[in-house]
Amino acid sequence: MDILSHLTPMFFGLIAAGTLIGIIFGAIPGMTATMAVAVCLPLTYAFGLTNGIALLLGLYVGGISGGMVPAVLINIPGTPSSITTTFDGYPMARRGEGERALKIGIVASVFGGLFSAAVLFFFAPVLADFAIKFSYVEKFLIILLALTVIASLCSNMLMGIFSGVLGVWLSLIGTYSITEGGNGEPRLMFDFMQYYLIDGFSLLPVLIGIFGLTTVLLDAEKGFKDDTGQGPISLKGGAKFKFSVFKGQLLNLVRSSSIGTFIGILPGVGGSAASVLAYSQEKNFSRDSSQMGKGAPQGIVASESSNNALTGGALVPLLSLGIPGDSTTAILIGAFTLQGIQVGPLFIGNNIDTWYVMIIALLAANVMMFGIMYFAIRHIAKVIEVPKYILYPLIIMMCVVGAYAINYGIMFDVWTLLLFGIFGWVAHKIGLETVPLIIGFILGKSAEVYFVKSIESYGNLSIFFTKSPIAMFLWVLIAVSVAFAIYLRVRNSRQPTIES
Amino acid sequence: MESQWLSLLDVSIDFDQSHLFFPRIVTWILVILLAMIVITRYRLLVPGLKRAGRVLAGREGEFDHKRFFGTLALTTAYFYLMSVLSDVFPNTGYSFLIMSVLFVFLLSLLYVDHLTRRLFIILVLNALIAPTLAWYVLAQLFRITLP
Repeated sequence: MDILSHLTPMFFGLIAAGTLIGIIFGAIPGMTATMAVAVCLPLTYAFGLTNGIALLLGLYVGGISGGMVPAVLINIPGTPSSITTTFDGYPMARRGEGERALKIGIVASVFGGLFSAAVLFFFAPVLADFAIKFSYVEKFLIILLALTVIASLCSNMLMGIFSGVLGVWLSLIGTYSITEGGNGEPRLMFDFMQYYLIDGFSLLPVLIGIFGLTTVLLDAEKGFKDDTGQGPISLKGGAKFKFSVFKGQLLNLVRSSSIGTFIGILPGVGGSAASVLAYSQEKNFSRDSSQMGKGAPQGIVASESSNNALTGGALVPLLSLGIPGDSTTAILIGAFTLQGIQVGPLFIGNNIDTWYVMIIALLAANVMMFGIMYFAIRHIAKVIEVPKYILYPLIIMMCVVGAYAINYGIMFDVWTLLLFGIFGWVAHKIGLETVPLIIGFILGKSAEVYFVKSIESYGNLSIFFTKSPIAMFLWVLIAVSVAFAIYLRVRNSRQPTIES
Repeated sequence: MESQWLSLLDVSIDFDQSHLFFPRIVTWILVILLAMIVITRYRLLVPGLKRAGRVLAGREGEFDHKRFFGTLALTTAYFYLMSVLSDVFPNTGYSFLIMSVLFVFLLSLLYVDHLTRRLFIILVLNALIAPTLAWYVLAQLFRITLP
C-alpha cells in the first residue's frame, strides 16, 4: 500500500500544527480560516504534496472551529460561520458556563466535520465520474451555474452578478493562452503593461491581497477599536460539561451536519448561511425551542455542527468539478495547483493515493481539532487577547512571503497583493461581493476556453441549450437558483424583521 | 423554417481575433450590469459619493486617517524599499529581513494607543525576533525564495 508510506509522523505533525494555527487564527476576531490558509501558504512551498495537503487541511478545519471561541466568550464570531454560536454561547458564558458551551461546540464540530468527510468520501467520486462525461458545453454551463448560485444568494443579487462578472473580466487580462488553444495575443491591457501582465494576475497574490491585506485595512480604518466594550469572560468555575447534554440531540446533529454539508457543496454560499439555516431549522422543528437564544445547548449544537460540516462539503465541488465551494477552498485550489494537482473530474481517478491521503488528513484534522480544543480550551481562549498591533504587521509580512515566492521571486506579485488589498477595501465600501468576484476570477479563464471551444466546434449558440439532456438539466438548475433567490427576496421583503 | 431561425444563432470565430471574442462579451455584460446598478441606485449614488468624500476628508464619521493612510504609506514604502534593496543583496533574503524588521516595528508603533516603556521594548523585540525567525525558517531551512 503506497498510502501508508505517506502517513509519516511528519504528516500527522503538520496536521496538528495546521489545526492549532488554524484554531488560533479562527479564535482571533477578524481573522478567518481563509486568512490562515493564505498567510501560512508559503510554508507549504517547502513541503511535498502530501505534507502540504496535511498542513492546509489542518488550517482549514482548525480555522473554522476556532471561530467559536470569541463567539462564546466575547459575543463576536471569530469567523462568519460562527455567527449563530453567539446566540446561545454568549448567554451561557455570561451565566458561568463558558467552558461547557465551548465543549458542546467542540463535540458538535467534530461530529459535523466527520460527517462531511464521510459525504465527501462517498459523494465526490460519484460526482467526478459523472462529470468526466461532460463536454465543453456542459463544463461551461457548470461554471455558469456556479456563478448564478453564488450571485443569486448574495445580499444584493445585482451586485453579486456584477461582482462575479467583474471577477471573470479580471481573469481575462493577459494573453489568450496558446496552450489552451488560443492565439497568444494580449487583451484588456495597455502596451506598457504587457511586460508584467503577459500571464495575467497570479491567483494567489490576488487572493492573499483580498483576504489578508484588506482585513488589515478595514481594521486600520476603524482604529483597532475593541468592539466588545468588555473583556472576555473567564472560563474558571461554572457548570461542568457532560456528554449527557447530547442526549436527544442526534437528530439535530445529523440535520445540521447535512445542511452544512449541502450548503458547502453549493459553490460560494459560505458558512454563515449554513449555520443560520441549521439554527433556524432547529428552532422550527425541535420539540422545545423556547430557550434558544437564551443559552440553549441545542443552538450551539446546530450552529457548530453545521459550520464544520461545511469543510467536507466545500471540498466536493473542488475535487470533483474543480469549482471551489467557498473562499478558503478558493485559496486551496491555488495551493493545490502549486503542488502540481489539477483538481477536476479526473483528479480522483488519476490520483487515487492523494485522494485517500486527503480523506485521512481531513479525518485526522477533525480528530486533532477535538483533542487540541477539548483539552486545551482554557489556554486557547487566551488567544483572543493577543493585541492586533503585534499580529497585523506580521500578517502583512507573511503575505509578502506568500506573494513573492509563488512564482519563485517576482516582485510584481507583491505589488499585485497591494493592488488587490486596496481593491478589496474599495469593493467592501461600494458593496461589491468578494466571494462571487473571487470565484469568477478563478473560473473565468476556463469559462472562456469552454465557451469559445463550444462555438468553434458547433458554430451555433443553440448548442448550449440542445447539446444533451445534461445541458438542459443544468439550465433548469440555473433557472431554479434564480427563481429561488427571487422567492427568498420577496418573502424577506414581506417579513422585514428577521428572527434572530 | 426551424433551421432558418437557428441560423440566426450561427457564430464563427476568426482565429486571429479569437482573443477578443469572449472578453468583448464579458465587457458588454459588465457595462450593462453597471448601467442597471446606476439606474436602480442613482438616488443613493450621489449622496453616497458625497458622504464618502466627507468621511475621507475627515469632516464626517469615524475614520482613523492616521492608521489607514499610515498603513498604506508604510506598506507601499516597505514593498518599494524591499525591491530596491533586493538589488543590493540578490537572492539572500536580507532585503526582506532588514525591511521587515523596520516595517513590523513602525507599523506596530502606528497601531499602539498608549506607548509605555515596557510596550516599546516588547515592540522592538517582536520586530527583531519575528522577521528573523521567519527569514531563518523560510529562507535558510526551507530554501524559499525571499526578496
